[in-house]
Amino acid sequence: MQRRDFVRAVISVSLAPKVLLAQEAGSPAPSLPAPVPWTLGLNSKAPLPVTEVADTVAAAELTFFTPRQMSTLTRLSDLLLPPIGGKPGALQAQTPEFLDFLVGSSPEPRRTMYSAGLDWLDAESHKAHKKPFASLDDAQAGAMLKPLLRTWMNDHPPTGPHVGFINIAHDDIRNATVNSKAWSEAPRVGAEESTAIGLFWSPIEPDTYGMSAECAHMQAHILATPKTGHSMPIYKR
Amino acid sequence: MKNEIFDALIIGSGHSGGMAAKILTEKGIRCLMLNAGPVADVSRDAQRKPAYELPYRGFKPPGRLEHVFQSNEFNANVWVDEQEVPYTFDPAHPYNWVRVRLFGGRSLFWSRQSFRLSDYEFKAKSHDGFGEDWPISLADLAPYYSRVEEIFRVEGALDGPPQMPDGNFILDNDPWSASMQRFIAAAKPWNMPVCKQRRALGRDGLASSVNLLLPDAEKTGNLTSIADAVVRELTVDKNTGQPNGCNFVDRLSRREMSVKARVIVLAAGTLESTRLLLNSRLANSSGVMGHYLMDQIYGAGVVCSVPEARGGKSKAIMGGGAIVPRFRNIATKDDKFLRGYAFNVTSSTGGVDPRNFAAYGAELQQKLDEYQGSGFHMTIMGEVLGRYENHVRIDTSKVDAWDIPALHVETKYTDNEFNMARDAAEVGSAVAEAAGFEVLSKNPTPNPPGYSIHEVGTCRMGDDPKTSVLNKWCQSHDHKNLFVVDGACFVSSGWQNPTMTISALSMRAAEYLAGEMNRQNL
Repeated sequence: MQRRDFVRAVISVSLAPKVLLAQEAGSPAPSLPAPVPWTLGLNSKAPLPVTEVADTVAAAELTFFTPRQMSTLTRLSDLLLPPIGGKPGALQAQTPEFLDFLVGSSPEPRRTMYSAGLDWLDAESHKAHKKPFASLDDAQAGAMLKPLLRTWMNDHPPTGPHVGFINIAHDDIRNATVNSKAWSEAPRVGAEESTAIGLFWSPIEPDTYGMSAECAHMQAHILATPKTGHSMPIYKR
Repeated sequence: MKNEIFDALIIGSGHSGGMAAKILTEKGIRCLMLNAGPVADVSRDAQRKPAYELPYRGFKPPGRLEHVFQSNEFNANVWVDEQEVPYTFDPAHPYNWVRVRLFGGRSLFWSRQSFRLSDYEFKAKSHDGFGEDWPISLADLAPYYSRVEEIFRVEGALDGPPQMPDGNFILDNDPWSASMQRFIAAAKPWNMPVCKQRRALGRDGLASSVNLLLPDAEKTGNLTSIADAVVRELTVDKNTGQPNGCNFVDRLSRREMSVKARVIVLAAGTLESTRLLLNSRLANSSGVMGHYLMDQIYGAGVVCSVPEARGGKSKAIMGGGAIVPRFRNIATKDDKFLRGYAFNVTSSTGGVDPRNFAAYGAELQQKLDEYQGSGFHMTIMGEVLGRYENHVRIDTSKVDAWDIPALHVETKYTDNEFNMARDAAEVGSAVAEAAGFEVLSKNPTPNPPGYSIHEVGTCRMGDDPKTSVLNKWCQSHDHKNLFVVDGACFVSSGWQNPTMTISALSMRAAEYLAGEMNRQNL
């Protein structure tokens, strides 16, 4: 940047704060005609904005399960983890909607297991009761599921047709519900599991090479001379 | 151009690299340490959060860490990303390569269980005829174990049988809980010695290279460290044919750099050290480099409940834990497998995992309420035999984010491991029933190879340069200024967590190296 351009830029930037400050009665004149070091204001006296977890107030768009699978999953979730004591059930914790997101973002084996498992449940229900799984009462649905429940240890879910799906889905439904905000806010009366609270590690000095100009083989933006009347520099594209 | 020649180049900053740095710098040797990742600063990089504030409610972020069973959403960013640093394997025989590249490596996260190997491991071939003996015995390593145990502040009792040698411990004098006493009595017919757990207390619950070893090295003023230095290959002096430094790439900028040193100390972790040597085409005149990959079988075991502890009566009965060192193939000979396994035993006062009940809804919650505080767990740590065919090699078709050729891992468990795991589930159930415990669930199948994060071997030590990569000082047979001080030197895996042995071997190798430098032999 040439010197006269720099001077012009400084003058235009310094005008704005002067105008603003003029509105405050008795405020001292700014000491420096320079951009305000705004981070000085982000001190302990400045509260940070308070934010809410999105799925407690917003509806999630469903992208993975078919409407039929979703209604089967919803019935399954409600049956396996209904509201008990003061704790919300899977439906109050938006667990089926969350699983649509989790399973939909997962690698193929988990997607197939869920889709095929839900389709199978519905088909079995039609065979036995001539209606969808979503319309079964607790006794009917329970009679289908109970023979498939197994006990198991970490990292070794039971195998075998449909057994794996039911037991893994049960585990996922419980974990997704227990880790919901709704569950964490309801008081604990017995030995209910607790919402996981832990030390979350942000990416540690992440490798952003993929975003770099060199990686994209793009020419870096070149600073051009600002046109008269424009205070912002314009970049050649 | 800056081109300082260091006395020693240490690649890796975990327990083995940290120990080598401490010993060498305290003896006045100027060291350069390279670590492939950044420094983790908990105050800058981490904050406490509930699971519902994270995108996946605490579930492991899908697709990123499929082979790191230990990961979850909270700690997902501390592990090596499988896309960034890929490795390959036959899909029918997966391998869980669990890696951390932060300064301090996996020493930041280990479980701190601290055992010595015994001569049942060092002289395993003499005992049962399989594999090879180590070129050292417990007597050679015992003085180093004692010093390592002092640095790590290992707590334990002097109650070990010969297969679990006692050490220099902070004594654990706590009495056994009632449930543990019942377990001890029930275990007698199986000749299972039940001993107090042995765990490194470290400082403030951390027993890492970064708080126990590196500060001592830095205090000497002889240690220079570089973060984010991903080593590409070792370099060789054209005149002497000996390694004289390395080329590395800056993890973030991709800038290519090189450094020179008189001695090279590899401490990048078993498989990364071997990968680096294979990529550098060095130190493999024996042809056994990459072979004899071992680890330990984990995952098999039993979950029980102590009936008398249910319904809120946990406090008087439950609590504490124990280690049952290997008890198979010590005095008798098992016909289904060689070597043996240990049990980690835990008497829990917390909740019982819902997976242990074949129930759902209100019925399940009633079980959880009733069984709360009555859980009793036994899990296996079993020896994996060293086999030539279990090996790693360079996969010439795949590179990592810095164009460094990836590792191909070809390993699988055999009947010896599967029979051992089945035996553990059966014996565990039988002892539990004899103690009057209810067996809730059991698993006779080991987790995939690698899961234990105790991978050892691939540059095994030995007296014969034709059948081993390193000598008994962890020094290359081919290049006397090249040392590998991590778990790659192991000849047999044992059932024991390898950290104490790795640290003791690194200490011993570093003292030998320092002596050789002072005598001008290096």
